[in-house]
Amino acid sequence: MVLIIGGAYQGKLDYARAAFRLCDEDIFTCTGGEIDFSRRCIHRIEEFVFSCPDALGYFKAHREEWEDSILICRDIFCGVVPMGEENRAWRRDTGRLCQYLAGEAAQVSRIFCGLEQRSK
Amino acid sequence: MTYFISGGAKNGKSKLAQELAVALGGKRYYVATMISTGKEDDERIRRHIADREGLGFETVECFRNIMDCLGTADKDGVFLVDSVTALIQNSLFPMEKNYEMDLEAAHRCADALVSFAGIVQHGIFVSDYIYADAERYSESTEMYRKCLADIDRRLAQACDTVIEVSAGQAIIHKGELL
Repeated sequence: MVLIIGGAYQGKLDYARAAFRLCDEDIFTCTGGEIDFSRRCIHRIEEFVFSCPDALGYFKAHREEWEDSILICRDIFCGVVPMGEENRAWRRDTGRLCQYLAGEAAQVSRIFCGLEQRSK
Repeated sequence: MTYFISGGAKNGKSKLAQELAVALGGKRYYVATMISTGKEDDERIRRHIADREGLGFETVECFRNIMDCLGTADKDGVFLVDSVTALIQNSLFPMEKNYEMDLEAAHRCADALVSFAGIVQHGIFVSDYIYADAERYSESTEMYRKCLADIDRRLAQACDTVIEVSAGQAIIHKGELL
């Protein structure tokens, strides 16, 4: 599994498309609390976390389905602690999930202004 | 040499940019981009001018189209553009139009910056990394972040060297420091 992280609009998906030769059909964009792991690339994992009460548990339960996937998550971790409880939980759960996924990943790439920085 | 520098606020981006400008040698221009909106901005501008004192910069004011600089300045000089953020902001939310969003103006501003980076001998472009927090912003703020990120990525591609500054330290993502 490859984990791609980076701030908003940094070119994470563009990087994945080019590096892994993805076409539109390969990409699942999360908008709610379910993921179609039959696609090679899962994009906007942070939006999945926002809608899923136990995102980490969900990923652990589907472990075998994303072993060879390309997972993309936005870095939402560097700002001030959010005022709203919902956003605080969102940031916390996304962070915990990213740490778990980074541990499991064969490659972790951070995208900065369209450029890849390999951290694993 | 052309440089694109970004990173969090108050991490030393401007300081590094000034040091690079001095190290490159030759005629130095500081492209001042900030339109003052009051006392706080005046104070910030005054502090920036004091920081640059003795470094031999000639200040060129440019609030919108970066190409306007070349009307008076020598294109073989060293241009420090601080900041890309202010330029895009001036265009996207024009003061004279009561800060109403003007996307086309922001695109024109971005195109001009990329052309400028290709024309000048030495350019240092400073931007701000405002993309990694857990906030749900308004539509206009999201558009601002997106416009700035688009130009950041285009400049990162166009420039010889790309640097992220963190706590005063340079993380080089592309090219060489000098």
